[in-house]
Amino acid sequence: MTNLLKTVPVADGELEILRGISLEIKPAETVAIVGVSGSGKSTLLGLLAGLDLASGGDVVIDGVSLSQLDEDARAALRAQKVGFVFQSFQLLPALTALENVMLPLELAGVADASARAREFLGRVGLEHRLDHYPTQLSGGEQQRVAIARAFAARPTILFADEPTGNLDGDTGARIIDLLFDLNATEGTTLVLVTHDERLAARCGRCFRMASGVLAED
Amino acid sequence: MTQALSARKLLLRDWRGGELGVLLAALVLAVGVVVGISAFVASLQSALESESRRFLAADQVVSSSREIPASWVEHARHMDLEVATTLAFPSMVFAGDDAMHLASIKAVSDGYPLRGVLQISEEPFGPLEQTRRVPELGEVWLASRLFSLLGVSVGDKIWVGDAELRISGTVRAEPDAGGSAFGYGPRLMMNLNDIEATGVIQPGSRVTWRLLLRGDPQALTAFSEWVEPKLVQGQRILGLDDSQPSIGRTLDRAQGFLLLAGSLGVVLAAAAIALAARRFSERHTDYVAVMKSLGASTGRISQLYGSALLLLGLTATLLGCLAGWAIQAAFVGLFAEQLGVQPGSTGIQPYIVGGTTALVCLGFFAWPPLWRLSQVPPLRVLRRDLDASAAQRWRDYALGGAAMVLLMWWYAGDIKLTAGVVGGLTVTVGLGFIAARFLLQGSRAVGSAAGSVWRLALAGLVRRGNANALQMVIFGVAIMLMLVLILVRTSLIEQWQAQLPEGTPNHFAINIAPDQRGSLADFFAAEDIASEPLYPMSRGRVMAVNGIALAEGRDEEGQPRQREANFTYSDTLPDANELIAGEWWSADSEAAEVSLEEGFADRIGASVGDELMLRIGADEFSATVTSIRRTDWQSMKPNFFVIFPKAVLEPFPKMYMTAFYLPGERKATLNRLVRSYPTLTVIELDIVIQEIRTIVDRVGQAIELVLGVILLAGALVLVAGVQASVDVRMRESALLRALGARSGLLLGALWIEFATLGLLAGGLAVVGSEAAAWLLQTQALDLDYVATPSLWPVGLITGALVIGVLGVLSCRRAVRVPPLVVLREV
Repeated sequence: MTNLLKTVPVADGELEILRGISLEIKPAETVAIVGVSGSGKSTLLGLLAGLDLASGGDVVIDGVSLSQLDEDARAALRAQKVGFVFQSFQLLPALTALENVMLPLELAGVADASARAREFLGRVGLEHRLDHYPTQLSGGEQQRVAIARAFAARPTILFADEPTGNLDGDTGARIIDLLFDLNATEGTTLVLVTHDERLAARCGRCFRMASGVLAED
Repeated sequence: MTQALSARKLLLRDWRGGELGVLLAALVLAVGVVVGISAFVASLQSALESESRRFLAADQVVSSSREIPASWVEHARHMDLEVATTLAFPSMVFAGDDAMHLASIKAVSDGYPLRGVLQISEEPFGPLEQTRRVPELGEVWLASRLFSLLGVSVGDKIWVGDAELRISGTVRAEPDAGGSAFGYGPRLMMNLNDIEATGVIQPGSRVTWRLLLRGDPQALTAFSEWVEPKLVQGQRILGLDDSQPSIGRTLDRAQGFLLLAGSLGVVLAAAAIALAARRFSERHTDYVAVMKSLGASTGRISQLYGSALLLLGLTATLLGCLAGWAIQAAFVGLFAEQLGVQPGSTGIQPYIVGGTTALVCLGFFAWPPLWRLSQVPPLRVLRRDLDASAAQRWRDYALGGAAMVLLMWWYAGDIKLTAGVVGGLTVTVGLGFIAARFLLQGSRAVGSAAGSVWRLALAGLVRRGNANALQMVIFGVAIMLMLVLILVRTSLIEQWQAQLPEGTPNHFAINIAPDQRGSLADFFAAEDIASEPLYPMSRGRVMAVNGIALAEGRDEEGQPRQREANFTYSDTLPDANELIAGEWWSADSEAAEVSLEEGFADRIGASVGDELMLRIGADEFSATVTSIRRTDWQSMKPNFFVIFPKAVLEPFPKMYMTAFYLPGERKATLNRLVRSYPTLTVIELDIVIQEIRTIVDRVGQAIELVLGVILLAGALVLVAGVQASVDVRMRESALLRALGARSGLLLGALWIEFATLGLLAGGLAVVGSEAAAWLLQTQALDLDYVATPSLWPVGLITGALVIGVLGVLSCRRAVRVPPLVVLREV
């Protein structure tokens, strides 16, 4: 990303949330972005993942400039190259665990979506919970489904937003192990937003966000 | 379509949410009610047409004062039309040595009548039987009363002109009798082929030939185009418009009511659809954000929800058409016997109307909120406050409203009725919203002084002020529409029934000689027959208006003509008459005044203040028109075109008439009556009255059926409306429970909140429904307005109870299920 700016209109002018952030992340790198609430971490994550458009500057993923793409093209890019793990899991309640994992595979046009989804659910230890709906799963199990969903599509880059924020300590630790194990096996680039210092410490590089500016620890 | 993203799965999985059920049910109802009603109205119209045909005894008639040329008959046959000929004329009929009487002869050819049926009996006033035959050669059928007038019975011989004919039956009713009952004496029906033998028809005889035609509408049009240029004076073509079935107006009103009810049903259903679709869309906003973050494109989302809607729409349309067919079949079942309505005669049109309704409902009410889903920004996965633009909602509502207006106009085909309903709804919604806000503020003031349950409930109402006011208006309008329908239905049916109460005179006795008056009254008293007063009656003619002589002959091309009519006198305006111009005379008036019936005045071109020259027998006299009356011809009371003050008509020779009620099982009394008074003429109306009464009953049942459907649509709106607010209320209740509120307190607060909302909505509905009923009854349905205070508590209690129960049932999970589960779900 180069000189990334994000401003939002407020009553008396504009509020700068991101003030010219530049950063290069190499393939298979693990990067943590830490900072207090309201520092702009989530905004940055949204821009990096192409969920939102920057007011200035650009994000380039695998040589593709996001500022040149419209929403549908960014959606196609997300389907091909981007994976997500959210704090609140964001599983679709109407779909079973298996179907939740199949969803991005189908969106990316993967032929053997069902087989691959089963494989990844097996890898997170949920092969016996394929047909359960999210409400029938514990928080930790739901996050494991979300991790399976994120990796199954074999994304180039994975964004995780406070992946342990809604989990107790033990469960959170197990989820983190799972996330890093899979990341290592799959060779995915991982960008992790958190205020959990221990979690950040497991990443290759750590950046601190404060008042819209990013600084490497 | 992929596995996880299939529209079918989306629908199946979301069924539990409830709003899809409401959406489907509302759509099925909308389509069902529209298909059912338009199919029924279509069959009603075709039945009315066939009724009109029955009154013509044909599809089309050529009437002529001279013999119909054989070439016309040939041409009609050549065009594949069925043909029959009738010839009507007055003639003396002779029996035995010295008995004779003037009869109204009708000679008919084979095939008569081409539409409708002849009703005959073996003996005079005997049991009725329908027949497709006409009298055989050499035979005649007589009207019941002609038997006693001539002193003959079945099997006897009579003479018409030179022909000797044998009596073989009694003619009781013929489809095209029209007003001939007041003509030249009782009916004698004979075979047309016997006419030549009678020798009574000479050139210049006063006769009416009729060529009856039946067949394909195109052939009929072609024939009338062919024959039109050949018509000379005294010849004309009669079509459906020239015959008015007596029940026409009743059915017209019923149709108007059904179409109105149908439109309201669709409005209610559309409201339910919009509410349900909006909730569905709100519940799916997060899903769509997740799908988009995972790479689903805008098009993919539109496609997914579009196909889901299409699938739902197709299912609903199919089910709706089935439901509509069932409604139509139920209606037709009610009327089949009376009107000869044939199931399946409605064509495909109603189903097209139903399909269009489904399209409009889906396209304008369900699709906009679903389409907006595709606009949900994917960033919502990180920031829950982001939403699709709400600014477009008002545009959606405006478009939906416009579509609904056009749809209603299309159904009812009546811009006035549509404008009335739409205007009423707009004013109600607007005023209702203001009133609702006002009431909610008031309830808050009351609540703050009350206990904690009340305070909690009423604060809840005010907190979501706009949303609750809107909901209140929606509930109010739904309850209002139901009340309006109940009000209008009740007054329609009561008015119809009041027109023909039990004991309505069902026989007329005319030609009562002045010296028979006393003994006839004794006869009625002895037989315990209830009769109307005696009305004097003189046959007279209007010769000139304001000194300008009217032309003789029959009414053609709308020119004023001389008119023959029964004159009567009366000191008071008779029942079933309404003065529409001028003034009624004082009881002792001796001035030469006259009052005319509206249509009669029109036909002779006279209005109040005009001077008429009249003739009774050989005497001419003049009178000034001082009033014009509107007469209810369906009242079955003796009605007159021309009425004078007593002093004016008193000097002229006159006969009398009366009407009386005779129950069906005492018909034999008529034989004694006509034997005692051979010159008296009895006209039987009981068959017609029974027919009308049955139809009124059936119309009432049809209306109740539609009302049931509308009530269902209203209930759906209520369910959808309550569902729309359930998520917010569940969340709040769960939070309060998490903070330690007892479930009793929450349940009480929910009860109070919903019941208050319902009570206020019921209040709005009562005010709105009285206003709407006034508007509809006086403006659209041609009825008198009567306020109905008895229905007011019904509105209030229904509102409080139904909304209360629905609301609490929908939110009870919030109280029963652990708060965390609720908080996690919503």
